[in-house]
Amino acid sequence: MSGVATVTARGLVKTFGVGRAARRVLDGADLTVEAGEVVAILGRSGSGKSTLLHLLGGLDRPEAGMIEIDGETVTGAGERELSALRRRRVGFVFQFFHLLPELSGEANVLLAGRVRGAHPDAAARGQHLIESLGLREVAGALPSTLSGGEQQRFAIARALVNDPAVLLADEPTGNLDVGAGAEVLRLLRAGAAGGRAVVMVTHERAAAEIADRVLTLHQGRLFA
Amino acid sequence: MIALALAGLRARRSRTLLAAAGIVAASLVVGTGVTVGFGLATGFDRAADQADLPDIIARFDDTGREQLDERVRALPNLAGRSYRFERTGIPLTANGRHTLQGAFHVVMGERRGYLVAEGRDLSGRPGEVVAEHGLAREWGLEVGDTIEVGRAGPLRLVGIAVSPDNVAYPLARAARVYLPDVYRTDTPANLALLWLNDPSKADVTLTQARSVSFGLGRLEFVTRDGVRVLLGQAAGIVISLLVAFSLVALVAAGTMLAAGAHAEVQRRLASLGVQRALGFSPARIAGLQATEAALVAVPAAGLGIAAGTLVVAGPSAGLLASLNERPPGWALLGPLAAALAGVTIIVVAAATWPAWRAARRPPVEILRGGDLPRSFVTAGGGGLGALGARFATAARGRWLAAVATIGVCAGVVTLMLSLASLLERLRDDPGTVGKRYQLTVPLDASLAKTVDEIPGVADVAPRYAADGADSYRLGEPLRLVAFPGDHTRFEAPPLAAGRRIRGPDEIEVGLGLADALGLRPGSTFAVQLAGGTEARFRVAGVVRALENDGRIGWVQPTRLLEAEPRLEPSLAVRLEGGADRAAVTRELVALGAPPRSAAAATTRNAQFLGVLAAVLRGVGLAVGLVCLFALVQALAMTARERRGAVALLRACGADARTVAVVLLGAAAAVALPGAVLGVVLEMTVMGPLVARLAAGFASLPIAPGAGQVVLVVTGLLALAAIATALVARRVLREPVVAGLREE
Repeated sequence: MSGVATVTARGLVKTFGVGRAARRVLDGADLTVEAGEVVAILGRSGSGKSTLLHLLGGLDRPEAGMIEIDGETVTGAGERELSALRRRRVGFVFQFFHLLPELSGEANVLLAGRVRGAHPDAAARGQHLIESLGLREVAGALPSTLSGGEQQRFAIARALVNDPAVLLADEPTGNLDVGAGAEVLRLLRAGAAGGRAVVMVTHERAAAEIADRVLTLHQGRLFA
Repeated sequence: MIALALAGLRARRSRTLLAAAGIVAASLVVGTGVTVGFGLATGFDRAADQADLPDIIARFDDTGREQLDERVRALPNLAGRSYRFERTGIPLTANGRHTLQGAFHVVMGERRGYLVAEGRDLSGRPGEVVAEHGLAREWGLEVGDTIEVGRAGPLRLVGIAVSPDNVAYPLARAARVYLPDVYRTDTPANLALLWLNDPSKADVTLTQARSVSFGLGRLEFVTRDGVRVLLGQAAGIVISLLVAFSLVALVAAGTMLAAGAHAEVQRRLASLGVQRALGFSPARIAGLQATEAALVAVPAAGLGIAAGTLVVAGPSAGLLASLNERPPGWALLGPLAAALAGVTIIVVAAATWPAWRAARRPPVEILRGGDLPRSFVTAGGGGLGALGARFATAARGRWLAAVATIGVCAGVVTLMLSLASLLERLRDDPGTVGKRYQLTVPLDASLAKTVDEIPGVADVAPRYAADGADSYRLGEPLRLVAFPGDHTRFEAPPLAAGRRIRGPDEIEVGLGLADALGLRPGSTFAVQLAGGTEARFRVAGVVRALENDGRIGWVQPTRLLEAEPRLEPSLAVRLEGGADRAAVTRELVALGAPPRSAAAATTRNAQFLGVLAAVLRGVGLAVGLVCLFALVQALAMTARERRGAVALLRACGADARTVAVVLLGAAAAVALPGAVLGVVLEMTVMGPLVARLAAGFASLPIAPGAGQVVLVVTGLLALAAIATALVARRVLREPVVAGLREE
């Protein structure tokens, strides 16, 4: 670990619903993740783990608090700046993979590199990732013909194609069997080894074993 | 199954309402098309039957009734007879209105040949009058009002009559009233109305009538078929185009219905897969789908058709009334019921067929996303626009349905633009009807050489034109045109059969005339000219001519002048390409005869053609808006269904412009093939169909020009851009996480 904070979040507040139905899922959450560090966030279903990840990645906005990703302030940024942040500094891995069904695995990986303003080396990096993740043989296959583990590996390759500083993984093993899950966790760990900050939310204790730090989200706050 | 289907529809209440709204909209077009089309197609025969229109109407100089009846009652095949005494140019005054173009008919005999639509018929007592309904409508007359009829003085209006032997006032120049025969046998007659036992043998009666007509001056016959033709000429090409457009609208609506129903099933393929997995048989799923579709289609189509009928019933009845035709009334129920059945069948078939196909596939294939057809999926490549195109084409059925809808709309727009251009060409460009000369000059034929020497003049020839009737079927009016030598130098209608004329004893007849008289190359054609003389020709060829509804023939002048020695020609003047028309006109005026532009249109009312062209462009614009709606709908549905994919792109850093490019690709994937399909449809199906329906006797050039094709394609792409902007705005307002949750 380099000791440089790649992800910094202070006093995050987020509420869903209004009036009596309002539910504050984040209530002053603080988080710091250094480059090369893997942080696992545990919590019960509905505790706000995914919401925290969405705020960190600029997919949603907090009501209060501050977020800084790789030295760039997220809170208060406009939609264009948030798009640029997601494009160049953040990679997402989702529980349900979110591969586009009409594109092959390879095309899904390269998709993030086709976005306007993407990293110029994205295409080459994508091909390299496909090789290094052992996906070359199934690169031309459609997602509907791939196993869950293969789909998640393609999803990880897609998340890394723009060489982001932060990798945000939302229940990355939640939809996989034990063997496939272990392989995915190994890849996330490897991602951090390249100097990337990895934040993974999960409710599986086993997944948390690869993390450098494990935090628990409880009543809207993070606890060690 | 009905209960299950109702439950399914209730569960998808908003979707069901949307589908029903689409069916209502398309059925509205069907309702208007059927109402207008059926009314116009059957209006004359219905009115003729109701009015007891005679099979033959003979006109002649005033003749004593006893002498006349002696000849008429001896005619063969005669079922009934009545006489009238007609006077035109009579002043009429009523309700503060006045005309000098009145006409009265003193009616004699039991059978009238008109329908009393309001009030009662003449009782035979003096002081009564029945007015033609066009006159009553135009002047706001009601039964009981007083009309002053020339020297007959004020008369009480006892009835309002419809007679389909002519169009209604003011479309007809004369305002007609009917008077009783108060003088009984002393009144002369100049009209004879003849009803036949066998109308198909009218020729026999006419031949006999002509043989006993000695002493009757200016004898003219008009058959019931002839009246139909005359009315057709009066309404011209306009009615045919309206009927044709109704048919095209029906086809367009059918395509939209089928496309919409098909898209709905495509959207639900995954749930069909679940049903199969739960043990539903393919037949049960298809049956359930058919029941659901029928439950939506029947009330929605009924509502749409009824609304369409109500919307156009008034204007349609007004149009029919101006043609002295009767609205169909309850007779319309049959075609409307057939339309309802047709719409329902289309919707049910379109909904059931894809459901049946899907249900027969392995459930796992559908559940794993098998509704995305392999043939449309590629490994990757292309830009973000291509990705959008993939989004649009992923659901093949819906994509095809959207393309079909846009294609039909684009076809109709192209057709409207082509028709508008055609009408303007018919008004302005004599070349449209095969004329190759631009000017006619009322100069003696001996001056042809002088005119030919004017700079800018390419060719000059005397043009003779004479009206006549077929000698055997005198109810068939026609026109003969003669040029010395090769007439194709000046008028060259396309040849449909046979060859061009080579000598003075030959004739090229228009297809309209050939159809009416059963003429073909080799037939003998005898024409009775206006002066009463006859000329005979051998048919050399049949041509597609638009002028005079195709009831026209081209000959060399020799025989025509033998029959009508006093026939005066005009000079047809063909200009050189790039000639100064104004300079040529000045020279011709200097010769003592101001030239006229060669007529092109089939109707004399050029202003009306201009208005009609504007109306067609307006219709084209309206259909263009339908295109925009269809595009927005297709794109919105794609965006709605692929909101997860769009959200994923945004999660990967796609900004508003990138998302717009993707959506534009999706819109273009529908709009471009739709535009191509539309142009192809217009050129191969709609245009020829309308041309055939409008004037089967002519070659109507209803093909789009390059400019119109560019306009349609560009217009559709512009609409695609507008649709993209509208949908992108909505998509980008949605939080990214909402789309990701949907996925």
